[in-house]
Amino acid sequence: MAPLLVLGLALCLSGTWAVDKGNFKTCEQSAFCKRQRALKPGESPYRALLETMELTNTRLTLQLINDNNKVRLLLELYRLQGNITRVKINELKPLKPRYEVPDVLIREPTTEPLSVLSQDENGVVLSLGVESQRVIISARPFRLDIMEGSDVLMSLNSRGLLAFEHLRMRKDTFSYKVTSTVASTTKEEEEKVEDGMWEETFKSHTDSKPNGPSAVSLDFSLPGVEHVYGIPEHADTLRLKTTDNGDPYRLYNLDVFQYELYNPMALYGSVPVMVAHSAQRTTGIFWLNAAETWVDISSNTAGKTVFGKMLDYVQGSSETPQTDVRWISESGIIDIFIMLGPTPKDVFSQYASLTGTQSFPPLASLGYHQCRWNYNDQEDVKSVDAGFDEHDIPYDFIWLDIEHTDGKRYFTWDPHKFATPKEMLQGLMDKKRKMVAIVDPHIKVDGNYKIHNEIRSRGFYVKNKDGGDYEGWCWPGSASYPDFTRADMRAWWASMFAYDQYEGTMENLYTWNDMNEPSVFNGPEVTMHKDATHGAWEHRDIHNLYGLYVQMATAEGLIQRSGGVERPFVLTRAFFAGSQRLGAVWTGDNAAEWGHLKISIPMCLSMGLVGISFCGADIGGFFKSPSTELLVRWYQAGAYQPFYRAHAHVDTPRREPWLFGPENTALIREAVRQRYTLLPYWYQLFYRAHVTGEPVMRPLWVEYPQDLATFALEDEYLIGKTNLLVHPVVEEGARGVTAYLPGKDEVWFDVHTFQKHNGAQNLYIPVTMSSIPVFQRGGSIIPRKLRVRRSSTCMEHDPYTLYVALNLQRTADGELYIDDGHTFNYEKKEFIYRKLTFANKVLSSVNLAPDAKFTTDSWIERIIVLGASKPSKVTLKTADGQEKQLEFDFDASMSVLTVRKPGMNAGADWTMTFQ
Amino acid sequence: MAAQVALRRQQAQEESEARDLRLLYPCTGIGGEAGIPQGSSISAGVPVSVSSSPAAACFDVFGSENQKDDKRFYRERKSFLCIDGSRMIPFEQVNDDYCDCEDGSDEPGTSACPRGRFYCTNLGFRPHYIPSSRVNDGICDCCDASDEYNSHARCQNTCWNLGQRERAYVEGQMRTLDEGLRLKQQLIEEGVLLWREKQAQLRELQQVAEDLQVKLEEHRRKKHEADRLKEQTLKALEAGDGGLIRHQNSSVASIFHLLDSNKDGSLTVDEIKAKVVLVHDEQRVLSEDEALALLDRGHRMDLSKFQSTLWDVLTRGDTVKIKDTQGAPGSLSSEDPHLKAADRAAEWEATNLKKVEEAYETVNMEIRYTYTLCPFNQVTQKSTAGVEVSLGMWGMWTGKPKNHYSQMVYENGEPCWQGGSRSTTVTLTCGTETALRSVKEPSKCQYIMDFQTPVACQPVLKQQGIHSEL
Repeated sequence: MAPLLVLGLALCLSGTWAVDKGNFKTCEQSAFCKRQRALKPGESPYRALLETMELTNTRLTLQLINDNNKVRLLLELYRLQGNITRVKINELKPLKPRYEVPDVLIREPTTEPLSVLSQDENGVVLSLGVESQRVIISARPFRLDIMEGSDVLMSLNSRGLLAFEHLRMRKDTFSYKVTSTVASTTKEEEEKVEDGMWEETFKSHTDSKPNGPSAVSLDFSLPGVEHVYGIPEHADTLRLKTTDNGDPYRLYNLDVFQYELYNPMALYGSVPVMVAHSAQRTTGIFWLNAAETWVDISSNTAGKTVFGKMLDYVQGSSETPQTDVRWISESGIIDIFIMLGPTPKDVFSQYASLTGTQSFPPLASLGYHQCRWNYNDQEDVKSVDAGFDEHDIPYDFIWLDIEHTDGKRYFTWDPHKFATPKEMLQGLMDKKRKMVAIVDPHIKVDGNYKIHNEIRSRGFYVKNKDGGDYEGWCWPGSASYPDFTRADMRAWWASMFAYDQYEGTMENLYTWNDMNEPSVFNGPEVTMHKDATHGAWEHRDIHNLYGLYVQMATAEGLIQRSGGVERPFVLTRAFFAGSQRLGAVWTGDNAAEWGHLKISIPMCLSMGLVGISFCGADIGGFFKSPSTELLVRWYQAGAYQPFYRAHAHVDTPRREPWLFGPENTALIREAVRQRYTLLPYWYQLFYRAHVTGEPVMRPLWVEYPQDLATFALEDEYLIGKTNLLVHPVVEEGARGVTAYLPGKDEVWFDVHTFQKHNGAQNLYIPVTMSSIPVFQRGGSIIPRKLRVRRSSTCMEHDPYTLYVALNLQRTADGELYIDDGHTFNYEKKEFIYRKLTFANKVLSSVNLAPDAKFTTDSWIERIIVLGASKPSKVTLKTADGQEKQLEFDFDASMSVLTVRKPGMNAGADWTMTFQ
Repeated sequence: MAAQVALRRQQAQEESEARDLRLLYPCTGIGGEAGIPQGSSISAGVPVSVSSSPAAACFDVFGSENQKDDKRFYRERKSFLCIDGSRMIPFEQVNDDYCDCEDGSDEPGTSACPRGRFYCTNLGFRPHYIPSSRVNDGICDCCDASDEYNSHARCQNTCWNLGQRERAYVEGQMRTLDEGLRLKQQLIEEGVLLWREKQAQLRELQQVAEDLQVKLEEHRRKKHEADRLKEQTLKALEAGDGGLIRHQNSSVASIFHLLDSNKDGSLTVDEIKAKVVLVHDEQRVLSEDEALALLDRGHRMDLSKFQSTLWDVLTRGDTVKIKDTQGAPGSLSSEDPHLKAADRAAEWEATNLKKVEEAYETVNMEIRYTYTLCPFNQVTQKSTAGVEVSLGMWGMWTGKPKNHYSQMVYENGEPCWQGGSRSTTVTLTCGTETALRSVKEPSKCQYIMDFQTPVACQPVLKQQGIHSEL
């Protein structure tokens, strides 16, 4: 008996790529970093030439001279609207233009007047206009101090580490010899030629460096600061560490295989923004440079013992703590934005005024996402979809990784496995669900592939150093990389998402941009050669921007295909400053380990601080297979992180939520359901983030900036304006966690039990597998939808339950935001935005946007007042003046009052009196 | 088919549960259409469709199963006790789109309760429950459209069509089952016959084996005898060593004749110079003196002298050798332009071949696999390129206790690159043909096969499958 059956299963080639730590450079192995780091502080050769100073109303220019080589730099200083100071330093006369990062700032920043307060031969004092803020420019050596009153907020080049490698002729070339004989009289000292200036080899890759050395570097001193944050992406603590005894933090977008935790190595994305915080002030530094960048941090208090501090005292040295930061970039110019706060939220809005805010995602994208490398075929998709219904677990998006394509040719479908994609998408649409399919930027070199042929014939590919189309090795084998820095290329790319171009797609198909660092399997450090070219610029200059441009073009494509009506959803792995405007980011290829669950919190918090709110980690861990306990804990933690997607490597066993026995299915179902009940709140927070630039998921210190106990907390965080405090369980076999509840006069309510706890305490909370500790702050009102359905779209018209948590003053407030959930019509004021207030025993809903118009079917189903006392009656008064007594229920043991079915429309004005 | 059974069982269970529920929702069933008791006057978005006639202040409890003959429970009541007994609520609050009961029992017809269920009557098809969260969610779940009474969804009543299809399907299944059972019986009978035949064959073979055993002994004895004789012969040979000498003589003679150009039976200096060269300098002709030395200083050498002198020198091979033996022809031919061109052509063809091979490989990647199941032996996967991979060797039956022989596992197939080995789970389903119906690989190296065979047909299916109520 030998029955035969031939089936249409194409071979899924598993990628056998493996890299290790040795594949990535240390500072020592990166010639410019090594060169710059070797500079000693206190020996600045730079002098400000005060006589060259020119001040127009809003722009100050000044030349700096390097006394060693007489090369002159031009410094520009601007006061920008919103308490920001911009300092630009470039060569006065560069041999050829140096790269200045375009497309990151949302507009040319608005400048404000500057004025000279005083000036002598040693320096200049400028007024920054507000709050007695001044800039002092010292001439010899050049130094820049920003003062407020008598406090120094920040100093530039105070350690004398400003360095600007001017562009020069290569000495062994003919043209150099000609010009140098002419110019030699003017040059007093020739620069020493060091190894790695004109050519650099790492492993088997040689960087030809036709432009020679071009690095820039500057140091910043932050008096009074002991805590600095930001500069993602690193798998490290929220509070940045000093780097004296190791490598600097590196910003260079790289595809790192199985990344290590607690390490300053570069990862997939980079945002060159650092936030400095002390109990007195929050400031930020935005270093606008897209080349490979290293950031050194040192502190005069780090690692000091009590004895050391005593010694300082005896020796009379300054006790003021100070953090020193030094930025080093390989090319480009120095262009910095000093955001002077003074509050954390000021810094967020200052940064948002420069690079924009979080894009407002479609509501459904805040739901749960089911992903795997790979769902094998349409039948597989169908059965996973059915599994969610069978086990009554909601989800909004199912994802397809690279195997769905026809031989890794993006914008195509495997003709056997996904023969009728529209049928599949229609099936999902019938259940109000959606799909994401991957589109990576590496394009298979294949003469029969339309996308490749088009890009090649239009000359849109990145070029190698010899001028041919750059080719590297990636998923499809030999691949070329479109030059996304070109606006015409991006426009063409966007047009490829049109329904008639990208065949088999429908409006419920969205996009995932992976490998956009870009990842080049056989390239140096698994990325593109730095001497590849993008028009006039080297890849060296633009590297960290590439991923942002890919996502920009893709998001634009999704907008255009709907005629500008629908909001896009695009997930990216690589990112840069400004990526927050374009969609969601995830923390890349993590692993199914407890440490990776734990690090997901500081990683996403760090991104939130620099604008990127829509962040998440692969639930369960990408590599390896999670234990059931880890998987459940990850679902619980992920339910309270902005981007909620499970993902798994192709070589791991299946892990759909129902594969671990009914008990665990129930635990996962409950976690996902908690997420869905909170969707109105998440959505409203994203609206706020979109308007203000404030992070959705934020560290405690942002809301308790004077509470030193919160400054390094990274095992718990807040969602939104203090309202929810989440402490995920990230230890195996945990029986309890200790959560810090901030706020001396605050109370916190356990959202699962309604138990009330006082603030300003470390609270031990026993935990079971059933949930993780989450608290609602007394004084807040949170809207939920308790009718959890198959997908968020199914819940659109459902009624709200308002959770009113009273503080010690017996007041509370909150907001309610409603719109259609998926279009740009909110920009045309089609939304409902209401302020909910509880004070003097009256709960009311007031319109925050009277000029906005939107109607909803949703109504108020229930009001739950936490920390309430029992009223004798509850009366509802609606806008038409009608009054009605409401039924209620009071649980005296927990002081919980539940008002039954008030029934008013969610968009209406009303007051409710508790007598 | 197994699914069919499960479905039936579930249905039976639901029907019995529904009967229990009927006791809890007493009702007349007079109201023509399903009704929702009206809730508060200012409720928004709440389904409101009163159906009660003034004469009979009663209504069906929408979303629950109603039965007209339960008259003793049908009485307008003031209050409703949640099924879990947790709470008593006014009857107006049943189905008023607000969840009062922890167990969801007060809202069988709305989506208000997170743990509630909605009963699809589905006249003409199977009645069943759906979670309350699917009521008015804009998706048609009940074939009678009853779940979307207040949504934007436009649902058609498809129960009759579904019922038709279901009946046709069940009939088809019944036919399959009948046929399957008949085939199974046939297989069993064939099997019994085959077994008997094999038993008879076995007995015969056992007899033959016995006979052979006797013969084997005989041969053993003979072999022993032969071995002894052989040993004796060898001893005798060793003593004489004649054979070896004869053999060597023939080669000596042939070399001698080769060197003896004029065939006069003796070698001369000229003959040696013509045929013998230095190993390390083949081009040079030996000198008179050197040739003479090889002839052991004699001008002529006969065969016997040759054998004892020059033969030894030649066989050692370290100084002189016979011309043009083991030469290196390459040195000459490599400069030949024709050969070079041929080389290039060959190389070109090799490159072309490689390209074609690569292209073929690429095509192959897209090509299908052939899966083979040899029950109780192994499962294999063969690519069109002919590479065969084991997906597991017979392991065990793994069906559920009630139907132990419905699933089998093949384990320890070819190892996977990330560790572990390939395995295959085969599910047996009843069918008239014996065939593999599908193969899937949900996770890497873990295969699932659907194997259809009459052997899997169970009589019990037939009894449960007949259901006239549809």
